[in-house]
Parts: sequence; structure tokens; C-alpha cells
Amino acid sequence: MKKIFKLAFTDFKLIFRDPSLRSFLVLPVILFALIIWAVPPLIEKYAILAPYLSLFLVVGVIENTQMFSFISSMVLIDEKESDVAKVYGVVPLNKMEYVLSRFLIPYLFTVVLNLVLLFVQNICDLSVGAIMLISFLAALVVPVYALAINSMVQNRMQGMVYIKAFNMLVLIPVAAFFVPEKFVHLFGVFPTHWVFQAIDKATQNLSIGLFAAIGFVFFLSLLWFVSRTFVQKHFV
Amino acid sequence: MIQVENLVFQYPGNDGPTLKGLDFSIAKGEIFGFLGPSGAGKSTAQKVLYKILEGYKGQVNIDGKNLSEWNNSYFERIGVGFELPNHYLKLTGKENLELFAAFYPNGKKHNSTELFEMVDLADAMDKPVETYSKGMKMRLNFIRAIQHDPDILFFDEPTSGLDPVNAHKIKQHILDLKNHGKTIFVTTHSMETADGICDRVSFIVDGKLVLTDTPRNLKSRYGKEAVKVDLKNGQSEEFPLKDLGVNPQFLEFLKQDEVKRIHTLEATLEEVFIRVTGKSLGDE
Ligand SMILES: Nc1ncnc2c1ncn2[C@@H]1O[C@H](COP(=O)(O)OP(=O)(O)OP(=O)(O)O)[C@@H](O)[C@H]1O
Ligand SMILES: [Mg+2]
Repeated sequence: MKKIFKLAFTDFKLIFRDPSLRSFLVLPVILFALIIWAVPPLIEKYAILAPYLSLFLVVGVIENTQMFSFISSMVLIDEKESDVAKVYGVVPLNKMEYVLSRFLIPYLFTVVLNLVLLFVQNICDLSVGAIMLISFLAALVVPVYALAINSMVQNRMQGMVYIKAFNMLVLIPVAAFFVPEKFVHLFGVFPTHWVFQAIDKATQNLSIGLFAAIGFVFFLSLLWFVSRTFVQKHFV
Repeated sequence: MIQVENLVFQYPGNDGPTLKGLDFSIAKGEIFGFLGPSGAGKSTAQKVLYKILEGYKGQVNIDGKNLSEWNNSYFERIGVGFELPNHYLKLTGKENLELFAAFYPNGKKHNSTELFEMVDLADAMDKPVETYSKGMKMRLNFIRAIQHDPDILFFDEPTSGLDPVNAHKIKQHILDLKNHGKTIFVTTHSMETADGICDRVSFIVDGKLVLTDTPRNLKSRYGKEAVKVDLKNGQSEEFPLKDLGVNPQFLEFLKQDEVKRIHTLEATLEEVFIRVTGKSLGDE
């Protein structure tokens, strides 16, 4: 436990001392301001937006995950590029413990961001249960994203390119909201699709159980897979 | 105690093996060195031993137990001084050191301030590592490797990038560790480091060990057991070491003019290396 906190605490120091990472911490603040103050007047003014209310939440929730997806990816790329990762390879720390300690705080933090967002927004009425499930599910984007990026790239430059691509990748299933009903779940190959669909169901006060379950299974399997590839590569 | 038999290692994707059957052992309280040119496989051999490279063939025993049977507790017993500086640049030296200290059990750990003092970094320990020179970062590497008082130490080029004064100090610290009964494995392409601290050295070329012996034996086996005397008047002559003190020609020669210098003709380790392997070491 002590090890885990030491590492998590170090990550915060690394973030706050790096201007480019630090600036990302304001992202959720901007997002909250938009969702809480900018969106409701828009909705009132333009009636055509009514069918797409859940989209505002979808984008809000996913952008909440992007802050730590980016920060954690960069912290790990930096660690690999500066060879510090090698040191973790020769200390008495289980590799999975390492992954856990690196992502526990970013994950929980993102969960909290989503909880706050979904509770304070007044675009749609959501049940407490749905808010909890969606928040815990969507935050899984953070470890999957950062571990996947770090399983693929060698350096910062490549990292930036992949991060751009991933930023779009997570948003692609938004398109499912604009296609005929029978094609909607073609976007199910993208894990975030199930988060989006769960949010959509929640805004209609329908049960989100099925989509959330698919989402959890999908994300946890991915997490298991990318953790393994990451662990094989990161410390060498 | 490290015992290695017929160690073969190939990097995935490479055509052939990098290590082609190494045999060596390192006793407790011994400093053992790999001396060889760049690309010979020195670092690779260490990486196999500190368990970062998997999929080797052959036998590696550490304190009588197969390397693959050791679990995470192995890492409590070893210390690794990496070949190149690797630290979080945004953290201070002390923060870097203490971060990694947190992974080891309490009790044996050295006091961090004392470690910084030991390598003359006390003034810099609260400064970010990005302000350190290469030599300062290497000294931080060194104290990070020893901070948990491990029994087995791997030092990959411990003196590279250091000025002569600091290189000398690090060598003294390594000798100190040996006197405390540590098992120490160093790699180097510096003849001086090998000669100065190693109890035994192996010449490694192209993934193979060519020769293993004490520096003393190597130098005398391949040098001449003789002294060369140079006089101020330009004359110069060689005399065998055997019975030198009662050698009349030698004594007579000394009387001819003022002596400019007298030196033994034992080979340097570098000369021995070139003679044995046909390759040069390439210098630091
Ligand atoms: N990750 C890797 N993948 C493939 N080949 C590698 C890898 N690392 C090293 N090699 C190859 O293995 C050989 C030995 O490398 P190694 O780093 O062990 O040499 P070395 O003796 O430590 O050299 P130096 O004195 O330059 O540090 C080299 O030919 C190198 O190209
Ligand atoms: Mg090397």
C-alpha cells in the first residue's frame, strides 16, 4: 500500500512540475462550465437540439476521461523515453501492482469527475444508479487508452500522433446516433459505443444494465490484454 | 554467489544469439569484470542476470537457486547500476532516490543524505535532476543501486562519464562494498577500471568469453618479466627481473650516467586484450 501511494503521489509531482501536463488539469473545469452554463440556454433556444440531448452528456463524459488519458499516457512515455522505466524492472514490485498503482488515482479521479458532471448537469434527469454505473464504466477509458498507447509507441513524437488518433477513436461511436436504428450496433466494435448507448438509455429513463454489462466486459478484457502487452514492453 | 553455465541468449527478431555460451562464476566478496569492446554483449549478460531479459538458455544459479525460481524477493537482494543515467528530470535527486527506496523493506536501508554526501552530491540533492551534469547523474545511479544494501551488485560501466577524481572515488566505493562481502559484477571497456578493482576479469568478444584470470596474472603472462632502464645520456637497456639485485651488468649500467627512468615491462591489460583477442577495446 505504501508503495502504491508513494508512486501515485510522485505522479502528481510530475504532473504539476510539467507545464504542458499541468495545463491539462483545467480541461474538466472548462468542460463543466460549458455543460452547466452554456448548454442549457442553447437547448432552450434551439428546439431542434431536443433529440440530441444525450449527445451533450456523451461528449461531456468522454472528454472528462481525456484529461487523464493524455496525462497518464505522457507520464509513461516520458518514463520510457528517459529509461526510468527500467528501474521499475529491478525493484521488488510486482508488475501488475505497478499498473494498479499508476492508474488507481487517475481512474478514481475520473470517476469523480463524471459523478460530479452527471449530478450537477440539468440537461437530463438521470437515476443515481445509472450515474454511478456510467461514471465507473466510462473512467475505464483512462487505463485502457494510456496502456494501449504505451504498448505501441516508442517516443514522445509518436505518442502525440497516436494520442490525436485515439482522441478521435473514442468519439467515433457518436456517429451511431445519426444512423438508422438497425446499423447502430455496428459501432459496437468500438468500446466507447457501449458507454454512449448506456448514457442514451439512461437519458430516456430506460434500463442501462445490458449495455453497461457489455461495456464492462469489453473494457475489462481490453484492460487485461493491454496490461499484458504493456508489462512485456515497458521495463526492458 | 553467481554461477553461470553455457549461457546463451538471443534477442527476439535477431538472426543469431548475442551471448554464445558463457561460463563464469562470481564468489561472495569478489569483484568480477567483463572487459570487452562495444557490442560484445556485456550489458546483455547483466540484463539476463538481473532478470529483465527472459528466454535465455543454460544454467544460472544465484546463491544455489535457479534464477527462474527466484520471485520478487530477488530484487531485494540485488542492486543495479545502469549503464546510462535514468532519473525523473523534474524531480530532485533526493526525491528520485527516495521514490525507489520506498519499494524496499525498512531496516537495512542507508540514510539518503549520507549517500549524497558520500558521492559529493549533498549540495545538489534538493535540485531537480535536469540541472545535473552527466557525471552527477551517474553518481546518482550509483547510490540508487546501493541504497538498500543489496548482497549482489551489477554495475554497468560504473565510471563512464566521470572525471578522474570521481571515477577514482566510485572505484574506492566499489572496493568498500567488496570488503563488506558483496558479490559484484562490473562491465567496462576501461582497462583502468578493470585493472584497478577487479579480482578477476573475463575478456568478452562477440558474445564469447575468450579468457578469464586475475589482472595480475594476465599482465605478467603476456608481458616480459624484465625492467627497462633509460639513462640521461640516451642509453637504454633491458634486464631480467630474476636476480636483478645481484646482476653485475645491471649494476654496472646504472653507474654509467644519471638514471632517467626505470620501468617494468609487464603488459597493460589493454595490450593483453589486443594480443589475445586481436581486437582493440575502444576507449571511453
Ligand atoms: N534490445 C535489443 N534488441 C536487439 N539487439 C540488441 C538489443 N540490445 C542489444 N542488442 C545487440 O546485442 C549486442 C550486444 O549489445 P550489448 O549492449 O550487450 O553490448 P555491450 O557489450 O554492453 O556494449 P557497450 O560497451 O557499447 O555497452 C549488440 O550487437 C546489440 O546490437
Ligand atoms: Mg553495454
